[in-house]
Amino acid sequence: MSKPALLSLHQALRKSFQGLESNQKVWSGVLAECSPLMASLGNLAEQWRALSNVQLSNTPLRDFPDLEERLRFKLVQATDTVLCKLNEKMSSLQSVRDSISNQVTAVFQLYEENTDSLDLLTVTERSVTSPSISDMLEWLQDAERHYREQFLRRKTLLQTLRADDLSLLESAPKRWKSFESPSAEDRITDTLCKVSFFIKSQ
Amino acid sequence: MDQMEGQSGDIAVTSANRKCYAVTGSARKIKDNAADWHNLMMRWEKLNEEGFEVAGNIVNMRLTRSQSDQLLVDESSSATSAPSASSALWQLPGRAPELQDECCKLQDVINKMGIVVMKMERLVTSQRAVQDLEEFQFGPEGRKFPLFHSWDTKHFEESSRILLESFCQELKLKQLILQEVAHTLTSDLCMVYLSCWLHQPFIPPQTRLILEALLLETGHRPL
Repeated sequence: MSKPALLSLHQALRKSFQGLESNQKVWSGVLAECSPLMASLGNLAEQWRALSNVQLSNTPLRDFPDLEERLRFKLVQATDTVLCKLNEKMSSLQSVRDSISNQVTAVFQLYEENTDSLDLLTVTERSVTSPSISDMLEWLQDAERHYREQFLRRKTLLQTLRADDLSLLESAPKRWKSFESPSAEDRITDTLCKVSFFIKSQ
Repeated sequence: MDQMEGQSGDIAVTSANRKCYAVTGSARKIKDNAADWHNLMMRWEKLNEEGFEVAGNIVNMRLTRSQSDQLLVDESSSATSAPSASSALWQLPGRAPELQDECCKLQDVINKMGIVVMKMERLVTSQRAVQDLEEFQFGPEGRKFPLFHSWDTKHFEESSRILLESFCQELKLKQLILQEVAHTLTSDLCMVYLSCWLHQPFIPPQTRLILEALLLETGHRPL
């Protein structure tokens, strides 16, 4: 059993979990900022739907002959603005995903390099203050997968949206909400709890 | 390049004061007008937000009430009466005073917007007067060198007219919305009225650009 390998692996694991903790906060914050934007999008979709259901020439608004075109232009502009802001949020989420992925990859790489000197006993050994290496690697992998999948789903949804596709716009807020995965988030929070002593120890 | 003005009541436009440190006469008037345009447009925006909230309340009250009471508006009687929101309300039995209040608030907002447009008309008139004075002093070609950076005086007048036109049209639209929104039963049309109020279709993005250009030219914004 090689002490240096074990120590450096522990060090890398600590760093990963610390990174995971701060990234989790950033992720939640950014998602919270997306909520009002998705609400705006839903609202705009309602406005589009209402306009498409009304024949303006049958209403008092007929006195303004170019009104429909002008209103459509404004609605397109407003929709584009919201979509732009959502895309900016996606960049932040991407940074979180990349940060977590990079750290987890680095830890696994270190583990692969040292498999000769880390036997099964070492890897599965756990103590009161420290979970086993195999458990910690698994938790990191689960967390990385969660954020990777979340980002992919949300990014894909946003990429399909366009100001001129009303049905996609209307269903977007609901679909966005369906991506919420409180159980997965809770598991990550649990993980961070379980490793809290490990992170603080040296 | 120095230019001495022979007439009274206008500034001597030198390269030193073209940067508007001691702006007097026509240039002062134009610069003040630009500031007024900015302030009036800000006031309009604030009134627009206020009005949107009130219009939203009216629509909510109207639609909830029509859903719960299954009332049908006597359209024929309201069509023959005078086209004002408050008179149409008297046609509807059991009309809640809250709805009446909201309609009055909206009327109040429209009145204030009317005053804003009236002040904008005065700015255009004032700009026209500056233009007329310049033609009197320098002939139909106007002055040789611009008062500020590059715009000739006609440009100020044209910009003012474009701005006024936009706000006049928008005010007409809002007056129609005021008349109609309290007795429109279909939720789609109500939503369209609210959209129109909020998004201001007759005030295109160019309006903001014209204002910014005006402020840049007259030195209110740094170049």
